[in-house]
Parts: sequence; C-alpha cells; structure tokens
Amino acid sequence: MTVQFTRKIKSRSAVKSRGPRGTSSAAVDTLRRTKNRPAKPFALLVPLSGPSGLEFARSIATLSVAEEAALLLSERPIVIVKRRAHLPIVDAVAPGLDELGIMLPYSPLLHLILDDFKGALVATSGNISGEPILSAPAEAELHLSPIASGFLHHDRSIARATDDSVVRVIAGRARLIRVGRGSGPIEMVLRRPLLMPTLAIGALQKNTIALAWGNRVAITPHVGDLTSLVGQETLLKTIADFESLYGVNAKRIAYDAHPGVRKTHLGDYGCLPSYRIWHHFAHASAIAGEFPSVEPMLCFTWDANGFGEDRTLWGGEALLGLPGDWVRVASFRPFPLLGGDLAGSQPWRSALGMCWEAGHEWSSEHDFGAPVLRAAYEHGINCPKTSAVGRLFDAAAAILGLCLTTSFSAQAAMRLEALCLPNLDFATAVELPLTLDESGVLRTDWEPLLPVLLDRSRSKTSRAQTFHASLALALCRQAIEIRRKTGVGIVGLGGGVFQNRVLTELIVRSLAQEGFLVRLPVKLPVNDAAISFGQIIELAASDQGRPRTHQFETMASVA
Amino acid sequence: MRELIEEIFVTALRNPFLDTSVDAVQLPHPEGQDLVVTTDGFTVSPLEFNGGNIGSLAIHGTVNDLAVSGAVPKYLTLSVFLEEGLEIKLLQRVIGACAEAARACGVVVVAGDTKVLGRGECDGIYLSVTGIGFRRRDIALGISQVQSGDRLIVSGTVGSHGAAVLLAREEFGFASDLASDAQSVFAQAQALLAVSGVRFMRDPTRGGLATVANEIARASGMTVHLSETLVPISDSVRSVCELLGFDPLYLACEGRLVAVVAESSSEAALAALRRVAPLAAVIGKVSAGQSRVILATRFGGQRLLDELEDDPLPRIC
Repeated sequence: MTVQFTRKIKSRSAVKSRGPRGTSSAAVDTLRRTKNRPAKPFALLVPLSGPSGLEFARSIATLSVAEEAALLLSERPIVIVKRRAHLPIVDAVAPGLDELGIMLPYSPLLHLILDDFKGALVATSGNISGEPILSAPAEAELHLSPIASGFLHHDRSIARATDDSVVRVIAGRARLIRVGRGSGPIEMVLRRPLLMPTLAIGALQKNTIALAWGNRVAITPHVGDLTSLVGQETLLKTIADFESLYGVNAKRIAYDAHPGVRKTHLGDYGCLPSYRIWHHFAHASAIAGEFPSVEPMLCFTWDANGFGEDRTLWGGEALLGLPGDWVRVASFRPFPLLGGDLAGSQPWRSALGMCWEAGHEWSSEHDFGAPVLRAAYEHGINCPKTSAVGRLFDAAAAILGLCLTTSFSAQAAMRLEALCLPNLDFATAVELPLTLDESGVLRTDWEPLLPVLLDRSRSKTSRAQTFHASLALALCRQAIEIRRKTGVGIVGLGGGVFQNRVLTELIVRSLAQEGFLVRLPVKLPVNDAAISFGQIIELAASDQGRPRTHQFETMASVA
Repeated sequence: MRELIEEIFVTALRNPFLDTSVDAVQLPHPEGQDLVVTTDGFTVSPLEFNGGNIGSLAIHGTVNDLAVSGAVPKYLTLSVFLEEGLEIKLLQRVIGACAEAARACGVVVVAGDTKVLGRGECDGIYLSVTGIGFRRRDIALGISQVQSGDRLIVSGTVGSHGAAVLLAREEFGFASDLASDAQSVFAQAQALLAVSGVRFMRDPTRGGLATVANEIARASGMTVHLSETLVPISDSVRSVCELLGFDPLYLACEGRLVAVVAESSSEAALAALRRVAPLAAVIGKVSAGQSRVILATRFGGQRLLDELEDDPLPRIC
C-alpha cells in the first residue's frame, strides 16, 4: 500500500495520510492555494539516511551539533535550521526566509513512505487553516477533499490530535517554539503546594492550558487561538479532557486580563472563582517558575502586544521583582497602532504610526488612505498606543519593504531576521536614548532608528542588522541601569520576540559579558504558550501570602 | 434670545396642537387602540453630518422606536438644551430639520421646552424627545415571540450612520460621499406588519446590528446565526471600516430595522419589505442552543459576535 501511496505522491498530487502527511515538489504551490496558506513556512519531512541518520538533512541544511541532537530526539520535533543556498524547492516551502523546519520520521509508516520515496516531503497537518486538526477519517475526507487527492488512514483511532513540536536552537540549546507531539503535556513542579486545584487558560492566541494541583503543573500542547468559535470550543473540550486525564477538577481559574477574554467564553468553567492575570506578569512568572529563586530578578517581556496594568498595550516591558510582586521599571516610548487590531496583520500601520509619532514622513509607493488615517491618528480614533517591541519589528520590516501585510504572525519579524548575517555585534548599533518618564519608568526611545530604516542608500541587510543590534544594546543598557540602581543581576527573557535567534544570541552574549546571570527558558517556550504556566505561578505566589510589597516601587523611588 | 428662540421654534414647528400659552395640551386619540409611549435623549458630535443633523436624528430616532413597536407615531414633545453662545443659524438648521423630518413622518410636535445652559455645560445642543403613538390591539410583537427556526431580516445596508458621523467630525476636514442612513423606518415597519409571522422588530442604533443580534440571543436564550456575506454593507462603509479598523456590524444605523420573522413567512416578508426598502435581505436565523451570536465569516470560519465593549482593544498578543 505504501508503494501505491508514494507513487501517488511522486505524481505530484497531494495525499493525506492520517498521522504522517505528505506532498512533494511543485505541489507546494497547489497546497498553498488550497490550504489558504500563502506564505507560512511548511516543514519538510526528510528520510533518515546514512550511518548518522542525518545525511539527507545535512544535504539541505547546515546543522550545528545541538541541532543534530535535536533532530534525533525521540519526540522528533520540527527543528528550524539554516537552509543551504540554491535548493529549488526551498523557496516555495519557506518563502523569504533563510531557514527551514525539518524533521525526521517518527512512525514506522513514515519510515516506510520515506524509504520508498527517497526524498524530502512537505508535511502538514490535516486541518483547515486556523482550525484544529481533523482526526476522524470521515471528518477528514469531508473537509479535506479539496486539499488532498488521497487519504491513507490508520486503523487505530486518534484519541488526542496533536501538532508536531517545533524547536529552534538559540544560544546553544534547543528551545521549544511549539509544544506538541512528544513534548507535551509538559510537567513542572512547584516548590510549595497550591491551596486548591487551579486551571489557567493562558492568553488569547498560540495558547496552552495549565492544570495544577498540589505541587504539580501539567501544561497541554498547543491549543490554538481563542478568538474563533472553534478555538473556544476546542478550549472547553481540552480542559474537560485534561481534567479527566489527571482526575483533577479545578476549583478556580486564571486567565489573561485582556478585556477580550469573557467569562461567557468559558462555559461552565466561568462559574469558578476567577483571577485575571496581567499578560506580562505571567510571562515574567513563567521564567521565575522555570528558574525558581528567592532573589528578585529583572524580566524583559518583549512580545507583540498584551494588555498592561495601566490599560495600555504592553510588549516592551522590563519587570522587576518576584512572582506576585512585579513592578514595571523600563519600557519603550509608546507609539500608535493605526486602526487597532488591524495592525496585527498589516505591519505598514505600525510603520506609519511610528513615523507620524516622531514627525517623519514615510513615502511608500502604496496608498494607505493617509488623509483619513492621519485625521483618525490626530484625534486618537482607534489608534491605541503600544510599547510592544514586536510591533517595532513589524514597522521596521514594513519600512524596508519586506512585508506590508502578513498572513501569519511573526512573518514580518522573521523576514527581517532572515536578512541578518550571523554573529551580529554592536558595531552597527545606534544608541537609543534612555530617560526616566514622569511615572518613574525608564523609556527607550526608538526614534533614532527611523532615519536609519528610511535611508534607502543603505542595504536592507545593513538596516536590518542595525535594527537588531540597536534593540539588543537598548536592552543591555536598561539592564545595566537597573542593576546600578537596585543591584539586581539576574535577567530573564520572556515573550515571543526572544524566538528571534539573531537578537537573542547577541543579548545573551552581551549580558553574560557584563556579568549578568541570564535566564532563557528551555522547558517551556518563551512565547504565549508559557502564559498558562506563568498564571499558575502568579496564583501560587498569592497562595503563599506574598502580598505585593512594592519592594521596588519605580525607578524614581529607588534612584 | 428668548424671543428669538420662540420665533425659531414656533415658526418651524407650527401645527394645530402646539400652543405656547397653555401648560398642557389635550390630544385626541383613536378608539380601540393602545397608547404607546417612548422617550429618548439625543447627543451627537458633530451636530451636523452628511445626511442629517441632531434635529432630524432626534425625530427619526423617536419615530423609529414607535414604528418598530408596531405603532403609528402621532405626537412628539421636544425639550431642547442649548449651550450659551450657540450660533443662531445652526439652531435654525437643527430645528428646521426637526420640522421637516416630523412633516415627512406625519407627526407633530405638540409641546416643548427650551433651557439655556452656560458655556461648557453642554456640547452645543442636547435634545430630549418623547413620542406618542397608537397601536392596533391585534399586533403582538415582542422579543419573547422569537422561536427556533425564525429568520432575521435587515432592511438595508448597515453602518452608514455610524461611519458618516465618524467622518463628519470637523477635524477630518474633507468631504465624503458617505451619507447617514438616518430616516424613518415607519414605512418599512408597516410593510412588514402587513405580513403574518413577524415576531419582533428593532432599529439597530448604538452598537449596530451585532448589538441587536445579541439582544435577541439574550432575551430568547437561543443562538442567533448571522452570515457575513448576506449582510448588506455599502462599499464606502466597507472601505472606511477597512481603513480605520472598525467593524461595520457594530456601527450605528438610524434608518434600518431588523425583523425576526417565522421561517414560513420570510419570503413574503422580504418581498413586502423590498417594495419600500430594495436592499433588504435575509441575513441569518435563530436556532435552539446557547444564548450567543455566531457569525459565519466570509472566509468560511465562524466567530462569536460579543456584546459591544466600551473600549475595544486590539487582541493581537
């Protein structure tokens, strides 16, 4: 049967197999069209070959020792690695990127298919884009027949559909990007038992759920976005399944403080005593939970947006303290997101917002409806302000013309990173002013980056490098300034921005040289998948009666 | 000032019942019908916009509340709060629009009052309008009548008023071809009342279509399904929303009604409505299930339409 299956694949038609899934070569374009996935990279399933098993993988990618070890892990994650240049298929698989996600076969069936096929296959989950995996054969054939021209079903039913795990080697270690098959559920241990079983449902997107009781915490694989109806239904099913798996019924529930999370989304769980946890406090606590310490730490929580304590959108925050007692001590100069939510998929809005805020003009060949938008900006109509570094990346990618709109999250940041050369240093960095604002928070001003980004006489690579180096330098300067005032020398890094290898490796290296102890998560992703665990840690701290002491009020008070 | 105001009001609104010399007015009413009363306050910024001003808005808003209740609007009272220093020409335009709208709707202003507030105590003009109408006793409309299987009909494009007011803020300083949909829905309501099986009607004002759908879901305890591709939205509203990041389903309408009708009557109701409102469309249905509103998106997905947030914030995390 597998011979027929691979013949069909070789004839370039899409074939879905339950468990393993595959297509090949130019069929990628068809798959992109039918799966409504215009640009998001696909992973390649590559055969185990040669004595090391890695010969094929090495022929398409340059692999470090840590990446080779990650590929061979028994959970067989997708490992994001540097692709070799001039491979024809790769441009279609990962457009605009210099990396590839590859994985080795993880089931006997996949071994058989790849042994017969003797090449790399695009492997993608059997789902409609943005929706959960379809695991029942009838359901899959009903919904996926426009995408797949054949189905290979297994005679064992699937109890829990799970995505592949994704890892990326950053600063010498394999870091989880997505918790999935083999890597989840993740178990963590609390130092002291919780007062009662607790459920944490994480953030709004790229979510996981954590169930904690006693001193155990179990974190689900990637659940998906809660912003769609099917996502909310999946959430409720996952909670019920997880509770029955562990035989634990939660007595309280923690969720993100974003007003978009409604109790009505939580079904019967909405009746439990509930605790709203600030998004970035959860990020910081997830780091503190993975690296427990009685010493206060400084956590940089850089992501693409979360709802902050002052009811603005955070995402470039430095939080000082311990779980249950975080104080924001540093951030970035805020800028407007023109059109609010739309900025998430239209990086040009962040770019225009930054330019206008700093009094710069950005001339692009595109017509953005500027007069109407300008009027909306000047009168604050649907232009919420953010200090999110993720949105700075969007803006930079848009100004460089890499990505005016996106079809998947982090697309702009990934393209910007892909332009950078390895082993970036501070040589090209621009100094960004660091000043204390009226509320005692240190603010880095991004404004000096704009003339650089807008300077078309410089190459895109040079501008992308300056951007990365300047942000890394800004973080180090914030850390040094705060250590000077407080003596705190432990630095945690949390939030999706730190999935950027170029940026993160420069930061980790530089902080270490400055004598900091750097905490970059290994057991959990740095992205929003860690929010559920961080929410548990926040509640665990309040169980210990650790009230907010405001040990560090603001930078002004400790100055 | 006082005399001027009197002159403006009385001249514009003159009718046989309006008598400024009496404390109260006596009104005739038809035998065998129920008296229906509604009252509403009106504030809008800016006071004038493409397609109307606060005066026409107040009359239409009040008439529409009576119309969707199944009543024939007859009498209005009008209380006006003016900010000291208001331009007289503007006041004349507003009251002129009141008079014109009232005439068009077949209603008369039978009593009124004017108060002048100090500078900064109100935003130009506030209006308070009470409407009185009469309803046949055989008309039984109500949100409690809604049943599983019923269809939702909207009488035209949604969101035009909200978008027009947004763009009319003087700060935008440019002309737009987007006009408010503000108008009376009396003819639309009457057209529907001629068809049996109409359960409930409402005009989607603040919070728009999505808010009315949520009200129906909450009151009926059932699920309201809307289909994004079926909801009529004008190209200009759509492009303004796509630019500024607004959802047209949450923008106010001032000349539309949403009706819930029995499935078996939906074709007849749509045909009747289209004679007075050509862009009317069936946009969804009610079904047994959790009390919520589900939108089938134009991309083939589904999302919940939540009740309006006071301060909607980006969800991108």
